[in-house]
Amino acid sequence: MNKAGGIAIGGGGGVGSGPTTSAAAAAAQKQKALMVRVETDIANIVDNFTHLVNAARINDTPVRNSQEACTMDMRASRMAQAADSLLKLVSELKQTAIFSGFASLNDHVDQRIGEFTQLAEKTDSLLARVGEEAAASLKELETHYYSSAQRTTQTLET
Amino acid sequence: MEMVTDQNVHGYSYSFKLSLSRVAPPPVEGRLVSVKERKMDGKLEMSLDKLPVKRLESIEENGFERFPTDIGYDEKQVSLIRRIDFGWAVEKEDEEKKQKKRQKKSSRESSSTTTPWPWKNMVENLHLAHQELSVIIDLINTVEANDAVTVAGMTRPKPLPNEILADLAVSTATKLQCYRNLGKYFKQSAKALEQQVAREARFYGALIRLQQNWKVKRQRVAAIAPGNEGFMIDLFDNSLYDSVAVFQPSSLSTIRIDHNSDGMLAINLPSKSCHSLLFGFLSGHSNAGPKKSNKSKTHGSLDNPYKKPEKESLSDNECVKDTHLLLRKVFDMVNRGAVNQSSGLNVTGIQENYLQLCIGPGISIYVSVVPSDQGDQAIDSEDTENLESAVEPSDSFDGVKLAEEKHNSLTKKTSFPNCITCEIYLKQIFHEYIFVEAKRRPFSTSTRMPGQPANDGSGLLSHFCLSLSHRIISNKVLMELENVVCRVPYLHLISHPTWHSRSSAWTIYMKIPPSILHASSQARTPDIQNMKNVKSEFWTKVMVRDDCINIEAEGAPNVVGLFKDSSDDICSTNKYDCNLDDLPVIILQQVASQVIRWLHEEALAVGIKANRDFLCLSFELEQGEILSLVARVDPEDIQGCISWLLTMEDSFAEEKKLHMNIADGASEYRKFLGYLPLDVLYSTLMDLVSLCGGGSH
Repeated sequence: MNKAGGIAIGGGGGVGSGPTTSAAAAAAQKQKALMVRVETDIANIVDNFTHLVNAARINDTPVRNSQEACTMDMRASRMAQAADSLLKLVSELKQTAIFSGFASLNDHVDQRIGEFTQLAEKTDSLLARVGEEAAASLKELETHYYSSAQRTTQTLET
Repeated sequence: MEMVTDQNVHGYSYSFKLSLSRVAPPPVEGRLVSVKERKMDGKLEMSLDKLPVKRLESIEENGFERFPTDIGYDEKQVSLIRRIDFGWAVEKEDEEKKQKKRQKKSSRESSSTTTPWPWKNMVENLHLAHQELSVIIDLINTVEANDAVTVAGMTRPKPLPNEILADLAVSTATKLQCYRNLGKYFKQSAKALEQQVAREARFYGALIRLQQNWKVKRQRVAAIAPGNEGFMIDLFDNSLYDSVAVFQPSSLSTIRIDHNSDGMLAINLPSKSCHSLLFGFLSGHSNAGPKKSNKSKTHGSLDNPYKKPEKESLSDNECVKDTHLLLRKVFDMVNRGAVNQSSGLNVTGIQENYLQLCIGPGISIYVSVVPSDQGDQAIDSEDTENLESAVEPSDSFDGVKLAEEKHNSLTKKTSFPNCITCEIYLKQIFHEYIFVEAKRRPFSTSTRMPGQPANDGSGLLSHFCLSLSHRIISNKVLMELENVVCRVPYLHLISHPTWHSRSSAWTIYMKIPPSILHASSQARTPDIQNMKNVKSEFWTKVMVRDDCINIEAEGAPNVVGLFKDSSDDICSTNKYDCNLDDLPVIILQQVASQVIRWLHEEALAVGIKANRDFLCLSFELEQGEILSLVARVDPEDIQGCISWLLTMEDSFAEEKKLHMNIADGASEYRKFLGYLPLDVLYSTLMDLVSLCGGGSH
């Protein structure tokens, strides 16, 4: 319950830092609704379990016993349903955190931007270096070629 | 012993069905049975009613028959009920008790050799109980049906302790069973929930990872199809457009994420969403049709949902979608830029995914986006070879085989730039525009007009096309320069990479070898030795901007320089434009004039007065004759581009020339010296100088 509450607060806090009061109010209300749901579900589970345990007493009348058997089934399924709804709540919270966790998203985006900028710079510098080396090599090769004996002999042959 | 009769509804004849066999079930419907059954030996007491045949009660003397009055149906029922006697049950119990005592005695007395079937007693008791129950049920039914007889009172017999305990045990066992069932149910649910948790963890983990690289959005529309979680990846880049104008992401640019059966993300790309950008040149030759450029390497399309959310598959995914997105963007922008009227480009063909532009005479390019096939597309090396070999040499040469080969290899070099590089360049400039320029735009969203991206796109496109045409022209220029430099041994070609897509520069450099300089310095007159050394390096700069060729060189005499005294050291630098066809000639003329200038200076350095014309250095002989060293340039000459002639003219030569045959005149007044290297030229000069009268010598 603490975890769910924490996530809810985190999610709510992230959203609630919007500038407008209406957005903050909506966020607070949403958070409250989530808390209510959480508490309802958990209370549901506990309550049903209690009843289930209480139904263990064996009564005299068989009618009561079979009635209790039916109620036991009912309580068990209610418990399962409450657990399921809790799980759905958790997934909803996760979704909210993923899509509305703007702080973390922005951080991540910034980080990625930094990475990519760095990569781009590195690539640019690499390209520049390659270009410089190519230019230097070209220059060297040209001077060597044009002043080489091979060229002069070639032209002499022609 | 069985007795079966029928029962008439109206009760005229009562009958009953008896079954005395122990195993057979009792009659289903309730029949009124009054039976006394004792033990298995079957001494049965039955009371039978009279058959409802009308019996004569009495007959009178006059023959009148008197029948008994009919008894009403109800009365009959009542009378029957009254006859039920449960006394037998009580008697039976007493007898059973007696029998048990007897049995106990007998069992105690005699050791039973035969072990009886252990369930026998239970079966018997059950059977008896069953029969009792059936009687009671019949009774109840009758009482229920009958108004005349009602239940006066019911008292439940006080349960015996063992009965109580038995009941308790049964209830306990039932409840225990209930709980066991519940336990199973809980275990099942727990397992299912655990699986669900694990699935969700995987799903959300993958979604988070995906979100780190892509823009994932939630769908506002309620999910209709089962299993649809309502997520999608939005590939549409809204940064270029007003948010008002483009509201709905098109289906082309969104990719749905679904829940797989395993709980993993299933991304179903539309089947033809992976595209590659094809770029190529359309040849103006007879082998028509666009030459296929190299297909860009694309990863296989992801039609299968990827099972493992690993980083590799994510990066594949990224690459594919990056390519897809970028290519579509690029193509869109190219399209818009081209179609825009103000761009000044000629669009010669346009189809759905294909755009053909004309960027110069006989040069057409096409850009198309084609869906890539399944599987990886490796770079087609065959295509490159085809492309290279398919370009026909524009010139054909006769002559020495070696030279021909060399020239052919030179001309076979394609003048078209490599398609891949063009493709990359196109992508790069648009990418830079899209992602870098666009980032600066949000600051001016309010003032931005919707038409602006198109304009800039067309600007980019025209830039790209100009770059292409520049590349082509500069390739041609380079070819010409290399041809020239190849055939003049004392020229060097130096390339200057400009790192600009629309300008190129070269220098043709001539350096006087140091041996000659040394010789010249020795030959110089002492009084001139203090003067500045003769210039020994000459350069000619060739620059191409867009498609303009600009030559800048020193040493070419202009009109002003001709009239000036040539002792000034400041060399005039000329700049002029030319076109491609004239380029070799101009270069050669420039070089030749530089050589002439050098020779002139050398001659001056040894004290000989010489006149310098454009391509001619003339000495005046003592006899009044003019001996000239003339340079002749011919770019088409294989053996050398600059050849030298020696001409002799006297003051009467003008008249004679008019009357004489040129061939005769050549032998008399001109001597072809050949393609002289610089040292030979220098020695020739020295010979001429000595011929002129020796100067200082």
